[in-house]
Amino acid sequence: MTIREAAEALRHRRFSAVELTTAALGRIERFNPALNAFITVTAEQALNQARQTDADLAAGRDRGPLHGIPIAVKDLFYTRGIRTTAGSPIYRNLVPDYDAFAVSRLEAAGAVMLGKLNMHELAYGITSANPHFGAVRNPWNAKHSPGGSSGGSGAAVAAGMVYAALGTDTGGSIRIPASFCGTVGLKPTYGRVSRHGVVPLSWSLDHVGPLTRSVRDAALVLNAIAGHDPADGASSRHPTVDFVPDEGCSVRGLRIGFPESFFFERLDTDVELCVRGAIARTEALGAEIKPVKVPDMAAMNAAGRMILLCEASAMLEPHLADRSQFGPDVLALLDQGRLLPATDYIHAQRLRRQMQREFAQVWSSVDCLVTPATPNTAPRVGENTVKLGGHEEDVRLATTRLVRSMNLLGLPALSIPCGLSDIGLPVGLQIVGPPFEEALILRVGAAMEDGGVGIPPCPVA
Amino acid sequence: MKDWTSIAKAAGLDIPAKDVGRIAPSLNALDETFRPLVRNLTPEMEPALSFRADQERA
Repeated sequence: MTIREAAEALRHRRFSAVELTTAALGRIERFNPALNAFITVTAEQALNQARQTDADLAAGRDRGPLHGIPIAVKDLFYTRGIRTTAGSPIYRNLVPDYDAFAVSRLEAAGAVMLGKLNMHELAYGITSANPHFGAVRNPWNAKHSPGGSSGGSGAAVAAGMVYAALGTDTGGSIRIPASFCGTVGLKPTYGRVSRHGVVPLSWSLDHVGPLTRSVRDAALVLNAIAGHDPADGASSRHPTVDFVPDEGCSVRGLRIGFPESFFFERLDTDVELCVRGAIARTEALGAEIKPVKVPDMAAMNAAGRMILLCEASAMLEPHLADRSQFGPDVLALLDQGRLLPATDYIHAQRLRRQMQREFAQVWSSVDCLVTPATPNTAPRVGENTVKLGGHEEDVRLATTRLVRSMNLLGLPALSIPCGLSDIGLPVGLQIVGPPFEEALILRVGAAMEDGGVGIPPCPVA
Repeated sequence: MKDWTSIAKAAGLDIPAKDVGRIAPSLNALDETFRPLVRNLTPEMEPALSFRADQERA
């Protein structure tokens, strides 16, 4: 069931928010021991909230489509009175006295918060094999990773524990778990959603966004959390719109860019087949599929990695006196960042501006781009390399290869499921748009979803 | 290739030698891609830093 369906049922009194929340808590109790998606479950608080939302609805106080809907947030969003760990012992005693901007917006919209989701340690990685809170497992196959860093968010949404989850994306950390868990994941434009009250990893690359089971559900969450926040220095004043695509929305006449070079190189065969199939379906739905040349994406990834390494090490340097607090993979990245000179960080930010200018040219010939979200499906838990196109690659570098540049450019990017591999793992497709064109990429995603691009529900959902 | 152990020592960083050895290949690979990009930058290309004085509040 999607948010829209649940919202409709709530208003027709087919069930109450308390019943919906109780059912969601039951699923958490049933599946979380195997999936380890949650670090903290706030059952009592959730039921109290649900009772209040039922009372509000009965009294005619309808706060909109998220009213009474069970959700959860990655455990790096500040939650008043609830421990916020960022998946690290560094924050083991952090109990914030205020809510993150996005959390308070969801609460104002009537959503019922079920708890805090497990994640890659400090959001610095893509496996969510957290050494302190345990590895998150993929609901499609528990031997496989859910991706990360918002791995608990992807797993909880795919397994039907919650209807929506908040994640963060610094180099693909919403779109990768969405791709691996078969959910929708939206990284909005940089500045579209406030980062206030979110434990940072990389100030200039961090984005906040939703993971959901449908494109329109992602739009509903974006409606609630988008908008200017003076408490976030990077928050944009760009006007917000209703992001929810119309029923019967169409891709007819849209010019959809197909960047074959780079984005269609070194792919898992199943990924390539599914994504090409989805593109063919989109063409049949009336879109004009245009081959397009994009600037040097490998160079963008290098600049993005340089900025991330430097900013993350600066952010976490105060804690590095005690190296035992970090898992080996995160510590290795933090050490790398400390060895890079300031001049390289400045150069990377100069390259970022140059690349932004170059990439802006792409939008003169197409309205959006469609690419695979990840070149691979979910690797097995503990797998450090992946073989793609005959080359053995580091699993982190391979998995972030097609998504990282969109953080550097700050562009909105949506991952939607578009097929299953031969062993039944989801494949994700990425739709990228010009700055602040979330409504456009959501429309394309919804039209594709309506047109038959998608996957069956997760077996445990 | 850079001598990362000496760089760590010169910067006064307390990173064990075996850990430096473990991360050196990643740093070298990044440097190999990054260095040629820097050579092509022109002086008028300013960094994309987001700081704006009018946004700062007391």
